[in-house]
Amino acid sequence: MAPRDPDAGIRRTITAGLLLAITLLLTLTRIGMIPVPTPAGNATIAHIPAILGGILEGPLVGLIVGLGFGFGSFMGATLPLFKDPLVAVVPRLLIGLVSAWVYIALRKANRRTLTIMIGVLLVLLLAFSYQVGMITLWLGIVVAVVTVGVCVGLLIWLGKEEPGIIALAIAAAAGSLTNTVLVLAMATIRGYFGAEMAWTVGLTHGIPEAIVSAVIVVAVVSAVRQIGSRQRGSRI
Amino acid sequence: MASYDTLRHVSIGQYVPTGSLVHRLDPRSKLLWLMLGIVALLTARGYWVNIGLLLFILGLVRLARLPLRYVLSSVRPALPIITLLAIMQVLFYAGPPGTVWLDWGLVRISSGGVRLMMVSLLRFVDLLCLTSLLTNTTTSGAITQGIESLLRPLSAVGLPGHQAALIVSIALRFLPILGEQMEAIVQAQHARGALVEHGRWAVVANARRAAQLIVPLLVDAYRRADELVLAMRARCYQGGVGRTYLVQLVFTGRDWLALSAAVALVALTIGLRLLPIP
Repeated sequence: MAPRDPDAGIRRTITAGLLLAITLLLTLTRIGMIPVPTPAGNATIAHIPAILGGILEGPLVGLIVGLGFGFGSFMGATLPLFKDPLVAVVPRLLIGLVSAWVYIALRKANRRTLTIMIGVLLVLLLAFSYQVGMITLWLGIVVAVVTVGVCVGLLIWLGKEEPGIIALAIAAAAGSLTNTVLVLAMATIRGYFGAEMAWTVGLTHGIPEAIVSAVIVVAVVSAVRQIGSRQRGSRI
Repeated sequence: MASYDTLRHVSIGQYVPTGSLVHRLDPRSKLLWLMLGIVALLTARGYWVNIGLLLFILGLVRLARLPLRYVLSSVRPALPIITLLAIMQVLFYAGPPGTVWLDWGLVRISSGGVRLMMVSLLRFVDLLCLTSLLTNTTTSGAITQGIESLLRPLSAVGLPGHQAALIVSIALRFLPILGEQMEAIVQAQHARGALVEHGRWAVVANARRAAQLIVPLLVDAYRRADELVLAMRARCYQGGVGRTYLVQLVFTGRDWLALSAAVALVALTIGLRLLPIP
């Protein structure tokens, strides 16, 4: 643990400002939107600064950057769906919060705790896919297959990586899924999507977005930690 | 490639100086207008109320002497998707149907679906005009100052109002700088033969391209944050206590007039919800 940073307050404020700037940049220029061939039109990476803010600077910064993401996606919206603040802004507030909390919960976990957690997650998700399968058979099968695939992948990966990195990746994926699930739920409640369409978009966008965010967040956090650990003041 | 060249001019909407009455309003009253306007739009229900709101907002755009074509131009690239979505909304509408006009099993055209489609399109145009009424008539500096001034009372009740305002102003200040940085990254990667543009179907390639862009950008932002902390400490930054401002915002009579109009609009739309208007 590094000695306490006297500038912690200012640092947090400034970092939040810069993450907010990146979020606005990504949303307003639409660079953070990856075009994909689905009804929703674009997958996003613009929620990643919010996740990073939550993980590196705590829930409050995550909340503020998430608010900025919502605002940017509202202002830059080209679809009626995202010109509705209840869809564009409200769900985004929770991205940073969820990833911060998940990260705080998992930060200290060791390999065994993580294995048990993945096991519990697998059981819960399988129960859920059984429920879904009772209503729509093919959807239940798809959800179950995806669940098993993801959990097996995680377990194999757990054997190879450090627990710290896995905690980061899971927190990032959780933040990303928060975005997907809440936006689609809100869109369905407000009547822009039917339930079937929301499911399709959720599966085709949510999972790739979660994976991409996990990869990017791990890459950025390890790079940023390196900057922090370097001797300050002698960077010539 | 061409799409990256304009990045350094990034702003939330372009300022269009026509010197109209709307331009001369205090940025704070325009920000509050936007918020109240959104509330009004979200509470409006039914065809006639939404059409009335649209006419009113178009009147405001006219008052600001903004060219309507310019205001609506940002939608043009998304028009095919919007049309597709609107059609799907009508065909696969699942809520209470009202009168059913056509029923082919999965596909059902009903008055409920058509109404939802019409109302969300109207609302979309309204919101587009409202946001550009703020951003096209106010410079980004004025918007920042307005936000800061609106957030200031928060410090009185113990919330970090000054910090929030500082975050917003840093974000807006660094937006063009980070935009330039991103342009530099893109061009450097181009020079090395990376980052070829792909179509909508090359999903993996597109995702990889975005990742290659955002990682160096974020790392650079963290480096900048370090430098900024140092610079602000060197200038004895102490937080918001006792800070003064060079340009003071003044609320005049026309600002109060604009605000009361906005409040009246919200009251009207809420009141009209109670009446049985289609």
